[in-house]
Amino acid sequence: MLKEFYYMLLSFLTVFKHLFKRPVTLEYPEKKSEVGERFRGKPYMKGCIKCGTCIKVCPANAIKIEDNDFIFDMKKCIFCGNCSFYCPVKAIKMTQNYELATNDVNDLKLLYKIEGRENERLD
Amino acid sequence: MTSLKLNLGPQHPSTHGVLRLILELEGELITRCEPDVGYLHRGMEKMAEKLSYIQYLPLVDRIDYLAGFFYSELLCRNIEKALSLELSPRVKAIRVMLLELNRISSHLLWIGAFLMDLGAVSPFFYAFREREVILKYFEKISGQRMMNNYFVFGGVRNDIFDIEEIERFLEILPHKLDDYESIITDNLIFKKRTVGKGVLDPKIALNFGITGPNLRASGVGYDTRKKDSLYEGFSFSPIVLGNQDSWTRYKIRILEIHESIRIITQAIEKIKANPELNNNFINPLNIVLPEGEYYSEIEAPRGVASCYIKSDGKKSPYRLKWRTGSYYAVNLLRKLLVGEYLNDAIAIAGSLDIILPEVDK
Repeated sequence: MLKEFYYMLLSFLTVFKHLFKRPVTLEYPEKKSEVGERFRGKPYMKGCIKCGTCIKVCPANAIKIEDNDFIFDMKKCIFCGNCSFYCPVKAIKMTQNYELATNDVNDLKLLYKIEGRENERLD
Repeated sequence: MTSLKLNLGPQHPSTHGVLRLILELEGELITRCEPDVGYLHRGMEKMAEKLSYIQYLPLVDRIDYLAGFFYSELLCRNIEKALSLELSPRVKAIRVMLLELNRISSHLLWIGAFLMDLGAVSPFFYAFREREVILKYFEKISGQRMMNNYFVFGGVRNDIFDIEEIERFLEILPHKLDDYESIITDNLIFKKRTVGKGVLDPKIALNFGITGPNLRASGVGYDTRKKDSLYEGFSFSPIVLGNQDSWTRYKIRILEIHESIRIITQAIEKIKANPELNNNFINPLNIVLPEGEYYSEIEAPRGVASCYIKSDGKKSPYRLKWRTGSYYAVNLLRKLLVGEYLNDAIAIAGSLDIILPEVDK
């Protein structure tokens, strides 16, 4: 009986100790958690060479290349980072932006222009 | 007395997902239990037949989102075995370190959630506070907290850094575990709700295919890490306790965290001894397994997980099958809950560490 009372006291003491510690949670909209350099957020593309590797490694069919338009479908993207990892020229980057909520469906279609390849010839 | 049919779930907060138990009660005594699974079925196995191996790799983290590294490791291991890719010592040490960290985070979540089931709130926050350190580290090195997608066929994506952070964490973690134990282990209410409840006979456990901590809490010393090639050169001993009840299943997980800490310290030594990262990557666009069957297994936090691939020499497998520990634990509820009281049902189901995405796949 005395032993059980002691353990009860010990557990109350441990919980009480935590009253004086600093909070570990973040108040989200005011304070945002910092993410590392490798964080996989909203994808970004510059300097595509149209090799098509990203399309073949994407598990969700989220990438489309039409003429000079490079399109990410954010409704499908699962942020696995395969496209950026296997891109041979490192044209695709996953940015640190993780706030992707929107009221407009069209915002979920990320369109990037493929530039500077029209005049080049492979002679 | 007329019997009463009661649905427990599928949206009960303590079922850790969407588990539905159809219970037949006589008074408060459970006479029959029928688990109904499949609410979280995503077709993980069928999906593999349509996708190439490199496309399938990011998805396997989602089979068990609390221990994603184990399933990535399984698929990688199977393909490395089939294509005979060698892993460098640093890659092996990194993988062991991350797997064990993942085991700790999974067990910590279980401790918090289990105590939440029993009505204790403080341990939940303490456990999540420690788990956050691990997840932050995962985010730093792999890019995401749970869907890591960090292991690749033949190595790991990028080199790891900031190991000091983990070393510091491993120093404080035993003290934090002592904190939990002072609140939980010998607590009167906790003991009354768990000691002698849900007694799992080792014979029944073996017949039902139970593995992992649940089996070791019943006194059977079965741990596949002992014969695992990845864990070669690590000194550790599987923890076996013989009391067979819910309380033992709690205690064994605390002790396993201590054992994981031992393994991680050895892994960090090996990482420091091999400073150069040599990945043995293959071209992701044409991974073709030779015709045949491949099998590999690993000791996941919820029991032995294994992956079976049958290949017919094409870019995607002909058949892929996952064996997951929780699936067998759900089936065990049929046996374990009969003859117990309704208010113990949650405590017993919680003590088996069931996670539903792993059951339904």
